[in-house]
Amino acid sequence: MRKIIMAASGLTALGLLAGCAQQMEPAPICNMAGINAQRQLVALPAAAPGEPSPLMEMPLNSVSITDFNVINKLYVRSVTAQRTPTGTVKVISQIINCTDYPLNVEGRTQFFDQAQAPSEPVSGWKRLNLAPRTSNTYAESSIGTKNVQYYMVEVRETR
Amino acid sequence: MRRLLAVSIAALSLSACQTVQNQAGAPTTYQDPATLGAVKGVGIESQDIVSMTDQMMRDMLTEPRLANAATAPNVIVDSEYFINESASRINRNSITDRLRVSLQRASQGRMNFVARHNANMVAAERELKRKGVTDQGKNALAAAQRGGDYRLGGRITSLDARDPKTGMMSRYTQIIFEMTDLETADIVWSGIYEFSKAAADDIIYR
Repeated sequence: MRKIIMAASGLTALGLLAGCAQQMEPAPICNMAGINAQRQLVALPAAAPGEPSPLMEMPLNSVSITDFNVINKLYVRSVTAQRTPTGTVKVISQIINCTDYPLNVEGRTQFFDQAQAPSEPVSGWKRLNLAPRTSNTYAESSIGTKNVQYYMVEVRETR
Repeated sequence: MRRLLAVSIAALSLSACQTVQNQAGAPTTYQDPATLGAVKGVGIESQDIVSMTDQMMRDMLTEPRLANAATAPNVIVDSEYFINESASRINRNSITDRLRVSLQRASQGRMNFVARHNANMVAAERELKRKGVTDQGKNALAAAQRGGDYRLGGRITSLDARDPKTGMMSRYTQIIFEMTDLETADIVWSGIYEFSKAAADDIIYR
């Protein structure tokens, strides 16, 4: 009986120790499946009414990681757009470095009009320094005002 | 005589080895000015100028006092008050010229641009017209050149560091832009562009 009690208390102690050992990994949550979903091409607007378009394109109002070097290292947590007081559009995207290493990336934005045609020249590349396992915010403003309806952000590694 | 002959033969045989390398040189290649080029150092480079002017231009268009005023303000954008205190050798006009041109093309009437850098040119032509040396042109005569409501100023500063053991050099560069009200001295808009670069060998900027 004494042996059983000893064994039971030993097991309990082990259990407690195991409980202490369960540490939360200090990592950002990087849902790469969500990134994969973002990469799905979408159909272009059909040329004829009621007909599906055979042409596919990258989805608008999204962030496209166009660089193979960082495609599985970054996680785009959010991308939103808002009108500024002057009527221009400001795109804001939070990007997470999922790796244990610092990353230097850069992004640029193309704004589109109602017809999904580019409404202005593409913006310049804007650098973003990402320390290991941290996030940073990319923001870009349009030049145009009312004619801007859509946007697409490209992200690549800075070289 | 014998020695002279030997020297002559040696000289002739050497000159025979020196043939013309009849080949094309390395071709000039165009580079994307918005991306890091083949020659790169720690100073301000074309991709920095393209990126910073684009950022500042877009940011200025979000400021209501500049881009959404009831009457388009008269803006002066030149390098007169844009000071370089950094260790980088740079023509300040390459920044302010690009900013002015891109801002004017983008603003589409939201701002009015005054060419203060061409004030002497305008003054000379006005004088010729008023003295009757030339006719008045097609446009109506103006009482005076336009005054500015806002003017761009700024400063480029840097901080250098070098590791004597490795020869590694780093430079932090900070560029600030300020748009100042020319009556009240209020700063109505400001922007900052900064970067830090490190390289083993610095290159020469000319």
